[in-house]
Amino acid sequence: MSIPIYVTGLGIITGIGNGKSENLQSIIDYKSAVNKIEILKSKHSEFPVSEIHLTNNEMCEFLGLNPEEVHTRTCLMGRIALREALQDANISSETKEKIAFISGTTVGGMDQSEQFYFDFLENDLKNNYIKAHDCGTTTEMIAKEFAGDFEIMTTISTACSSALNSIILGANLIKTGKVDIAIVGGSESLSKFHFNGFNTLMILDKEQCRPFDKNRAGLNLGEGAAYVVLESKEAIKRRKIKPLCQLLGYANTCDAFHQTATSPEGIGATLAMRKALENSNLQPEDIDYINAHGTGTENNDLTEGTAIMKVFGENIPNISSIKSFIGHTTSAAGSIETVISILAMINNFIPANLNFSTKIDEFNFIPNDKNIKKNYNIFITNSFGFGGNDSSCVFSKIIEK
Amino acid sequence: MDELILELKKEIIEALNLEGMTPESIDENASLFGDGLGLDSIDALELIVLLERNYGIKLENANEGKEIFKSIRIMADYIKQHRTK
Amino acid sequence: MNDFSLRVSKNIYIKAISHISNQKPLSEEWFEEPIFYSQKYVRSIEPDYKEYFSLLESRRMGLILKRALVTAINVTRKSKIMNPDAIITGTGLGCIENTEKFLTALIKNDEEMLTPTHFMQSTHNTISSNIAINFKCHGYNSTYSHCGTSFDSALYDAFIQFQLGEIHSALVSGQDELTPDYFKLLKKIPYLKNVKVCGSEASVSFMLSDEENGENIAKISDVILLNKPEIKKMLGNLKCNLSEIDAIVVGNNGDVENDEIYNNFINIFDVHIPVIQYKQIFGESYSISGLGLYTAAEIIKKQKLPVINNYGGKINKVLKKVLFYNHYQNKNHCLILLEML
Repeated sequence: MSIPIYVTGLGIITGIGNGKSENLQSIIDYKSAVNKIEILKSKHSEFPVSEIHLTNNEMCEFLGLNPEEVHTRTCLMGRIALREALQDANISSETKEKIAFISGTTVGGMDQSEQFYFDFLENDLKNNYIKAHDCGTTTEMIAKEFAGDFEIMTTISTACSSALNSIILGANLIKTGKVDIAIVGGSESLSKFHFNGFNTLMILDKEQCRPFDKNRAGLNLGEGAAYVVLESKEAIKRRKIKPLCQLLGYANTCDAFHQTATSPEGIGATLAMRKALENSNLQPEDIDYINAHGTGTENNDLTEGTAIMKVFGENIPNISSIKSFIGHTTSAAGSIETVISILAMINNFIPANLNFSTKIDEFNFIPNDKNIKKNYNIFITNSFGFGGNDSSCVFSKIIEK
Repeated sequence: MDELILELKKEIIEALNLEGMTPESIDENASLFGDGLGLDSIDALELIVLLERNYGIKLENANEGKEIFKSIRIMADYIKQHRTK
Repeated sequence: MNDFSLRVSKNIYIKAISHISNQKPLSEEWFEEPIFYSQKYVRSIEPDYKEYFSLLESRRMGLILKRALVTAINVTRKSKIMNPDAIITGTGLGCIENTEKFLTALIKNDEEMLTPTHFMQSTHNTISSNIAINFKCHGYNSTYSHCGTSFDSALYDAFIQFQLGEIHSALVSGQDELTPDYFKLLKKIPYLKNVKVCGSEASVSFMLSDEENGENIAKISDVILLNKPEIKKMLGNLKCNLSEIDAIVVGNNGDVENDEIYNNFINIFDVHIPVIQYKQIFGESYSISGLGLYTAAEIIKKQKLPVINNYGGKINKVLKKVLFYNHYQNKNHCLILLEML
């Protein structure tokens, strides 16, 4: 017998909005945040990005924090998303349940380190930022948003699938009874480090990205944070809280092909979706919507589409990538896109894949280029990272009362 | 021309960290990728930076490299025609 | 508590361990003849990598990747488990050498003429994925980066997946490199500032299986991870009475604040219990707890104590249960109970 996992709260901040309602409304209004670079101090303004239009100081103000203290952008965004998730799930320091906090990041405090690195080496002016650099400290700093105690806290760093893998660990912690509630997701700010890094791979598009389009020319980077509150059946009964939806199943697999390229036949992506369906006790035809990883790079979209055709055959469900709205938010993408997909499902629509015009020759499907009004029950979401770290999660409306 | 080939071999050995290889051990007519030297897509990106840094040639698209990097001789021919430094 | 936690827990066996550290690499020599260092910063002793991969294969690998792959290859060979169900790595700083190289070039060249290799091999997950690529492992693959409890988190993930029956074998490792520049930075912050043992590096791989058949080093009976300073509660939840524990392995490193937590822990036990402070030889690193667990496992396998803290040699009792305790700045705490088979 499988143990049900419920979703009882969401928190999100992205280029298209601070909070659930702003994000939802931007998708409904087809409002993309991919635009000319403004906040990140990079000279490569030829590549558009999806930025949160708040400076670090403005985020401090929003959170009521002293901007003179040590903050990194990833932590500030993470705190904003965590605050909303806690409120949404009605969790406070009074909550009696055992709670885990699992966060994904790769960039960590790099937005500050890349400004002060030579100070770190040559003088003592910015020493306080040295300890804010690593991923684990990033999670600890985000966790300060919660006035209570987390029972278990750790950090996952599997590049672009980090936040989805946080969801998987959180669910396993609940299933084994280690905790009753797991707050899971990720946070990642833009940094010159990974912006330039992606540029060396020559996979940044100078236009808004065009996922699953024949003429796609790369991805746009984005920033943001999102957390999902997972909870056991017993805990929601004790807390008398109404769940939003359920996590039915998930899988983490590895393409094991190349550090940056995906296998042409999409081994890892196929396995991730198949195992996630198996783990959910579902057949491919049960899926109503695929929230694709769909970065807009030649390699990813071809491989992912190939894998989708292998798993779903002739009857491909509705499919879209929402990266044309929010960019590729790397380590946070898994939870950000999960939150947006959940919001779309419970509001009975399938989100659009912007900028699509021409079908990819090898494919038997096209993504939906408009929001589609539809009452549906189940979606699968994909996150694929460098090195072939491929994960998929399946969510549904409440089926087990 | 032969001087450029030798120079290029040295630069490639250094840029791609092909430890233990010498210019003599690389056949300028052999394929750089696949069966030949066994380089991959990341090496191709490294070679694109090498072209820009050492010869002032800027490729806009990684796909352009596919033709240019077929062998060291073809690469040298391309450099000869397009170099700006 | 749900139905699951009432079930009987599964046994997990350590099938093989391999390390590259400041002691003789890929060897158990440190147990009898440890090298003690007086320097503040000591890098790992490298094995001969040519025995493991060609120069062409390793041309892009930094030290951390080479070490990780070699210890991984060794545990697969020793255990004959060539395709583990899970590959999980803990690393506090990830591939810091490549990160430094890319960051330095980024600043010095003002965002121009950057090369992809250092970037793509700067992300933490490169280690686990490089291992998976080498063995063509398509199973679960993850990376934890949570300061001094990165390895512990990786092991904990494997532990709960064994309990769920999701996996039957796992390659769990701890990997951290320390460049001269980053050592300098860490000396400026509390992490290494007042530490008396050397700043060091660690690469240690474990092959775990729920299959008892074949050779075993020790059995992992329990793993408890807690983000609260409640060691007595953790000990109370342990599947074992404290009086049954024959030796403890702890991480005193000379920093008064760090050691106080370990001393309070030690004081809970009988005064005659052997206390092995593994950092006295292996030094301090974000992944050093992997070598702590290795020390505990070797004590069980050899039925002897290592030559640390004036111990060493055979002792007059069977070393049936050994408890390993690790904490990071009194925030994250981990207990691992090992048993003789």
